[in-house]
Amino acid sequence: MVVVLLPSLLATQAGGQARFELEAATVGEALRELPVADLLFEGGELRRLVNVYLDGDDVRSLGGLEAPLAGVEEVRVIAAVAGGTTSRT
Amino acid sequence: MGALLLAGTRKGLFLLHGDENRSSWELEGPLLPGWSVFHAIRDHRDGSLQIAANNFVYGGTFQRSDDEGKTWRRAEGLRLPEDSGLKLDEVWHVEPGRDNEPETIWLGATPGVLFRSGDRGATFEPVQSVLEHPTREQWEPGAGGMCCHSIQLDPSDPKRMYIAISAAGTFRTEDGGESWTPANTAVAADFMPDPFPEVGQCVHKLLLHPERPERLWQQNHCGVYRSDDRAESWERLEGNGLPSGFGFPLALDPRDPDVAYVIPEEGAENRVTPNGRLGVYRTDDGGSSWALVSGGLPEPAWGAVMREGFTFDDSGLYFATQSGSVFASTSRGEQWTEVARQLPPILSLEAAEWS
Repeated sequence: MVVVLLPSLLATQAGGQARFELEAATVGEALRELPVADLLFEGGELRRLVNVYLDGDDVRSLGGLEAPLAGVEEVRVIAAVAGGTTSRT
Repeated sequence: MGALLLAGTRKGLFLLHGDENRSSWELEGPLLPGWSVFHAIRDHRDGSLQIAANNFVYGGTFQRSDDEGKTWRRAEGLRLPEDSGLKLDEVWHVEPGRDNEPETIWLGATPGVLFRSGDRGATFEPVQSVLEHPTREQWEPGAGGMCCHSIQLDPSDPKRMYIAISAAGTFRTEDGGESWTPANTAVAADFMPDPFPEVGQCVHKLLLHPERPERLWQQNHCGVYRSDDRAESWERLEGNGLPSGFGFPLALDPRDPDVAYVIPEEGAENRVTPNGRLGVYRTDDGGSSWALVSGGLPEPAWGAVMREGFTFDDSGLYFATQSGSVFASTSRGEQWTEVARQLPPILSLEAAEWS
């Protein structure tokens, strides 16, 4: 079992729930079980500005979505610090 | 019957509840804070709130509320097929289907795509004939991306509708969306080597008059236009009282097809109201002449109103600025009242009846 933590904007989209306890073999499996999975992925990959940490380590340095969750206690989803968008008309 | 204004902002949705006389307004919100609400409507068919909401991290969504904004449900399937080679960016415009098809909702998005829902917005499918349009390679994105921002249904013909995409132009279907014909004859694209191409025009907003549906108006990057023949041909209307042909929003009078309103900007290179004057220009004669109507508007003011930032109902006109103000008029624009201020930058404004 692993705990998945969502930032507040995603928690709102998940009906107010920020903490999920899931059974999954890989981080990709865990994220796809979430009710906000459609907001995390684009073309099967993590969106560019969505960061995921496994017990504090960036999942992109751990093999990406195939990273195993064995021994992992916490998966934390965090929006990248990316500033604002450009002005659109 | 009171009025409900839905103000979509960069930081969520605000609701303004107005009394029957449009003289007293109550502000509610923000709903869905953190989302950029490019467009929001109250569907007259069932009272639901429906929004095109975008977030720079999580992408574009359609969300629907059946309880006045307390809870929201996000549509599924809002993506483009991998074999299209296209990636969905922002969602721009929500248009309810016809009264006799209460399950249908249309959604315009970037890059130049149209979605249709047949289940009240629970799921969406891209319209293949737009996705695979034979002229698509000639389309180019405007400053706001290649957005499908206008969707107009002809009330006189259940198979006819129009879409407008920046910068691809206006397209008309006569067969319920199976095929789309470019409808840009005599509409300028001054930024292209051929200034009158078949497609590539930068329409900023397209509206059809509900009482005379063969008449359409468009505010374009290159002028204001009117068509009286279902967009077969267009007449450029500037040079007759308008300080500039450049602008984004457009509003009509639901009872008088000869009346239209625009809010010009100086030009593409300086997108603020001309001469420090936040002004609405009205024509009463089908665009032959235009006059400034600006009583009660602040002056000087270098304002900007987005393409979805101007709306109307049977009783009034309403527009909203990027600097967070909402103005209302019940005198055909002659006199305006600021009914909200200091909101986040406002991207869209829609009016609905409310009781």
